[in-house]
Amino acid sequence: MPRSPSADVVTASANQRAAGGRSGIGRLVPRLPILGDLRLGRRLGWVIPVLIVLVAAIVGYNARAIAQQRGSALVVYTAARQRALVERYTKDVLVVVDGFKADPKESGEAMRQPVNVLLDGGSVRAPQGDGSRVEIPPARDWRVRRKLEQDRRLIDALIRTGDRLLEGGRDDPRYDDDVTRLRVLSAQLSSVSNDAVQEITQQTEASLSRLVRIEIALGLLSALAALGLGLLLRRAGAEQAAQFRSLVNNSSDLITVLAPDGTIAYQSPSVQRVLGRRAADLAGTALGDLVHPEDQHDVSMSLTTLAEAAPGATANFGCRLQHKDGSWRHVESICTNLADDPRVNGLVLNIRDVTEQAALRKSIGDLLHNLARRSQGLVDRQLELIDELERKEADPDRLDELFRMDHLATRMRRNVENLIVLSGVDQRRRWSASVPLRDVVEAAVAEVEDYSRVQVAGVHDLALAGQAASDVAHLLAELVENATSFSSPTTRVDVSGGPAGNGYVLEIEDHGIGMSDDELDEANRRLAEPLAADVAVSRMMGFHVVGRLAARHGIRVQLRQRWFGGVTALVLLPAALLGSTGEHPAMAPPVPAGVKVSPEPLLLADTTKSGWQPRARLPLRRHAGPAPNRGGDTDAQPD
Amino acid sequence: MPSTRARRRWAWVLALVLAALALAVPFTVARRQEPTPSGRSVDVRLRDFEVRQDAAVVPAGTVSFRILNQGPTSHELIVVRTDRAPDKLPLQRDGLTVNEEAPGIELLDEVEGLDIDDRQTLVLDLAAGNYVLYCNLEGHYLGGMHAAFTVR
Repeated sequence: MPRSPSADVVTASANQRAAGGRSGIGRLVPRLPILGDLRLGRRLGWVIPVLIVLVAAIVGYNARAIAQQRGSALVVYTAARQRALVERYTKDVLVVVDGFKADPKESGEAMRQPVNVLLDGGSVRAPQGDGSRVEIPPARDWRVRRKLEQDRRLIDALIRTGDRLLEGGRDDPRYDDDVTRLRVLSAQLSSVSNDAVQEITQQTEASLSRLVRIEIALGLLSALAALGLGLLLRRAGAEQAAQFRSLVNNSSDLITVLAPDGTIAYQSPSVQRVLGRRAADLAGTALGDLVHPEDQHDVSMSLTTLAEAAPGATANFGCRLQHKDGSWRHVESICTNLADDPRVNGLVLNIRDVTEQAALRKSIGDLLHNLARRSQGLVDRQLELIDELERKEADPDRLDELFRMDHLATRMRRNVENLIVLSGVDQRRRWSASVPLRDVVEAAVAEVEDYSRVQVAGVHDLALAGQAASDVAHLLAELVENATSFSSPTTRVDVSGGPAGNGYVLEIEDHGIGMSDDELDEANRRLAEPLAADVAVSRMMGFHVVGRLAARHGIRVQLRQRWFGGVTALVLLPAALLGSTGEHPAMAPPVPAGVKVSPEPLLLADTTKSGWQPRARLPLRRHAGPAPNRGGDTDAQPD
Repeated sequence: MPSTRARRRWAWVLALVLAALALAVPFTVARRQEPTPSGRSVDVRLRDFEVRQDAAVVPAGTVSFRILNQGPTSHELIVVRTDRAPDKLPLQRDGLTVNEEAPGIELLDEVEGLDIDDRQTLVLDLAAGNYVLYCNLEGHYLGGMHAAFTVR
């Protein structure tokens, strides 16, 4: 099972402190080349000599093999054979002249044949003593040709003399002279044949020698090429390493490698600019020592999850890191799991300093908040005024108009509150006592302009934690508003509820045209990961607000496509926020067995027990029942 | 400190020089230096199968034989002092080559392994007397490769 880097952060840090800073740096040094240096140079250090040795071995072997072939090839055997043929011919002629039987012509032809072949452009395969054959190339060199031509003339002269002896016999008066001439020609022929073969051998040797020299030259050139290539590669590697070091050193981002034990195995020097600390000082220290205490849990969770994920997985998280001067820097990190890479063996964090962006975001949030707060005050006063007018008005038509004004002002207040939510300032009105969930649902419906299309049914008698009531009502109002806005005015929007394994689910169903899969994915992504306030947020403000409100209380919101058209928004309220009516939510089971379910659609929320003041009143429903208690009890005041 | 470009240029120059050396060294052939002729020069031409010199009689002293083999086969030239006729030199047992150790034969010097068009100079300090120049390869002497030479 892989070890979690974050799990050992504290202990590793303690061990590191116990071991002393130098030992940590000492451990780090061998790891530094992981990112800074290519190992090319070290590899070339042994590749090049091996290459040179190989090339030298090849050249040496070829030279030796060729040298073994030359010299001994031609002279010994071919010259000896020619001499033997000449002597045999001479002897055969004399034997025949003396009356014995022999065939000198065979020897004569054997002498003449190879010479003729070589002079006519053919080659001769001369057998060697070990059974192999050496090919004698055609006579193209002028020296060889002159000697072979002389050889042929002498052979012809020898055969003519032999023929004369064979014809004349011993009785011929020129017999003695011809015998002498035969012997002299035989000797000359042996000498000239030997000379010709030597010339051929020398030519062959010269040719082979040229080959050897060319091979040696090629081998040397190959070695030089290999050397040059090695040097170029080494230089390229060094330049690449230098370039990489320069990029790392001068980058505004931090590159950090976390070892499996959670300590910093490598830290890029740019940490000096961001955190005012020396990279060497951070080697071996735990990352957790630098993280803000409020962020440590999230960072630890992110790193633990990533360490247990597949190799190559990435994760993003933001946190605050402590500068050497004690201040906190906001950073965003992209973390990659490279634990399986032997050159890294850890998690690689690419950390960017976003302190200025965070400050800018905060100032924008503050600006939004201030503007929204002013508007909120005005809207609240406007609502109070409308409420007072409603109380005094008896004319039903005018009262209806007042109710519509009341409703528009309520929507304005929700928009203002959206801005406050997006500003990031948590300024909620909280109630210490729990609130009936149906009241919250009813209040949310009351904030929607087309509330008359909304049908609330099947919501259990549960209590919602007071501190979440306002945000849940706001959240539900946004979802119901969205449902009524994107469905036909003639269709109904249903709000219902039901127990879930780990909480309670509220469903808001519309019967509109629905959303495409891409739109649905995008909306769910916004709901799950609400962004900071920017232009994109303004386009889908409702989902961002819902996402933020949900994130505050651990509520999960998800949109689903309905089979018969339209969209269902599921709101999962965690058990921690729920309880039976009148009980403290945290002490009650999530959904008690046999809870009472409203048999009819809810028409009015009863907030008298909780004292909770709904975000909106239900103006039109006053006609159907008692007005909601907006005065509130003393224990229902915001915390 | 030299710039990277300058060092790169020098590296290329060095590589080219090494490459040139690698190509040139194996093809380098040492040339044999011939001795400078001195004294009286005699041009001797060898061919199959005769010996010709441009002077048959020379004064005593240093004689430089400038030998040229016109081929077509290889020859040698041997200088002996003898009072015998050039074609009456004693032969070895094989009957094909001259016995240079026979009485009446004084071997002075020789040049071997003359290939076609080879030139060599043989310098001898010759006293007055009769000399024979010949080739003693098998059958060459008997084939007529000999010449008389007189020093006075």
